[in-house]
Amino acid sequence: MALRDIKPTRSELINVKRRIKLSERGYNILKMKRDGLILEFFKVLQQAKDSRGALLERYEHAMEMIALAETVEGAIGVKAAAFSAAESPAISLKSKNIMGVVVPEIQASSVRKGVLDRGYGMLGTSAVIDETAEAFEDLLEAIIEAAEIETTMKRLLDEIESTKRRVNALEFKVIPELSEARDFIKMRLDEMEREELFRLKKIKARSA
Amino acid sequence: MAGVSSGSAQYIYACTRLRVRKSLLIPREDYLRMLNMSLPEITRFIGETAYRSEIDELGTSFSGINLVEVALSWNLAKEYQSILELVPGDLKHFTASYLRRWDIQNVVTVLRGKMQKMQPGKIKEVLVPAGRLDRVVLDRLVAEESPERVAEALKGERFYPVIERELPGALETGSFAHLENELYKSYYARLIADAKEGVKGGDIFLKYIQLEIDIRNIQNLFRLRAGHVHEDVRELMIGGGSFTVDELQRLSGLESRDEFIDALKRQVKMVPLLNALEEIRGKTALHGIEVALTRVQLDQMERMSKRYAFSILPILVYLEKKKYEVANLRALARGKEAGLPGERLQGYLVM
Repeated sequence: MALRDIKPTRSELINVKRRIKLSERGYNILKMKRDGLILEFFKVLQQAKDSRGALLERYEHAMEMIALAETVEGAIGVKAAAFSAAESPAISLKSKNIMGVVVPEIQASSVRKGVLDRGYGMLGTSAVIDETAEAFEDLLEAIIEAAEIETTMKRLLDEIESTKRRVNALEFKVIPELSEARDFIKMRLDEMEREELFRLKKIKARSA
Repeated sequence: MAGVSSGSAQYIYACTRLRVRKSLLIPREDYLRMLNMSLPEITRFIGETAYRSEIDELGTSFSGINLVEVALSWNLAKEYQSILELVPGDLKHFTASYLRRWDIQNVVTVLRGKMQKMQPGKIKEVLVPAGRLDRVVLDRLVAEESPERVAEALKGERFYPVIERELPGALETGSFAHLENELYKSYYARLIADAKEGVKGGDIFLKYIQLEIDIRNIQNLFRLRAGHVHEDVRELMIGGGSFTVDELQRLSGLESRDEFIDALKRQVKMVPLLNALEEIRGKTALHGIEVALTRVQLDQMERMSKRYAFSILPILVYLEKKKYEVANLRALARGKEAGLPGERLQGYLVM
C-alpha cells in the first residue's frame, strides 16, 4: 500500500488500527496452525519412513519370489498362472480432515486372496506359485498403504508451505505496512492539528 | 484303447530306443559344472547339446534368457511329438494318454486367455505343444473367438465331457480353477483305467501312478496347510491313490505339523517316501518339500523301470527325465540371471 494513496483521516486511522488488530490475530492463528501442521507432519513422516521400509522389504521379497518362480516354473509357467487372475483388486477413495487439510483414505478390497480363490487349479500348479502370489499381494498392500501415507505427507507439506507463506506475508509485509500507514496517518493528523492551531493563532493575532 | 500287447518286439524296440535317448540326457556332473558357469556359458553349453537346432532356429527371434527358455520348450515339445511317432501300437496310445497333461495345461491356458480377451500372440507364447494336441491344433484353438467356441472345437477329445460339464460354471464365476482340477482328476482316473486294461506293465504302472497321485496329494496337503485352508479339501484331492479322499480330508484337519507328518508316516509303507517325510520335518519352504517329494517319485520310477525293462515304464521314465532336464536347464539359466547363489540353485534342481 503506497503512503500517497492513504487518506490521513481519523476514520482511516480507526480503519487501519482495526485491520492491524485483525492481521495480528490472523498471524497468531496461522502461526499456531503452522506449528500444529509441523507436529502432525513429523508424526506422518515417521509412518512414511516405516511404510517405505516395509515397501522396500516386500518389493525385494516379491522380486526374489518371481525370480524363484521363473527359475522353477519358467516364465511360461508363471505367465500361464498369471492368466488365472480373474478378479482385480478394487480401490475406493475416501477423505479425512487433518487440521483443515483434506487427505485421502484408501481402502482396497480383494488384494489378499486365499490359495483357493486365486483362480488357478491346485492340481496343475506348484507351491512356488502360491508363495509368489502371496508375496505380490503383500507388496500391493504395502504400495496402497504407502500411497495413502505419502499423499497425506505431500498434502501436509503443501499446506505447511502455504501457511508459512501467509504467516511470513503477515509478519513481514502486511502488518509492517499497516503499522507504517497508521504512523503516517497519526503523523499527518498531528501535523494538521498543529497547522490548524498555528492558523488560529495567526487569525487571532491579526484580529487583535 | 490300450489293450494287451500285440507282441514283445514293439516293447523291446521302443524301450531300447528310449533307453539310448535317456543315456544322452545331461548327467548330474554336467549340472554341477553348470552351477559354476555364467549365463552366456550356460547358453553356449546348451547350444552344444541336443538343443542346438532350436537355439540356432530361434536365435534370430529371441536372445538371452528368453532364447534359452523358448528353445528348451520347443525342444521338449518336439521330442515328445517324435516319441509319439516312434512308439508303436498300444504303447503310442498309452504314451499319448500320459502326455495329455500337457493338453490340459494348454487347453486351460487357451480358455483363460480367451476369457480375458487376450491377443492370440500372447496366448501362443505360453503354450507348450508337448501333448497330443500339436501346434496346428493349438493354433486353431487360439484363433477361436470365445471360450465356448474353443470348447466346441474340442468335441471328440477325451476330456471334452469334463469341459462341457464345467465350462458354464467357470464362465459364470470367472474362475477356471475348478475346471482345471476336474480335468486333472479325470486325467488320473483315465490313466488308472488304462493301466487296468491289460497293457504290458500296466500293474506296475498302476503302482507308479498311485505313487504319483499320493505324492501330488501330499504336496497339496502341505500347500493347503501353508494357506491355512480349513474347509473341505476332498474336491482338491485326486482319488485312486493309496490314501482315500476321506483319509486325506482327515489328515488335512490335523492341527500340528509334526502330528500331520506322523499320521502320514503311519500310512506310508515305501521306505524312500518315509525317509523323505522325515527329511521334510525340518524344512519350512514349501518348494523344498515339493522337490524332496518329486525326487522320491523319480527315484522310484527309475527303480521300477530297471526292474521291468521292457514295459511302458522305460518310456515314461524317459518322458519324465526329459521334462526335468528341461526344468533343470531352465532353472540354471533363470537362476543365474536372477543372481541366485549356486548352493541355493542346486536345491531347486531335480538330479
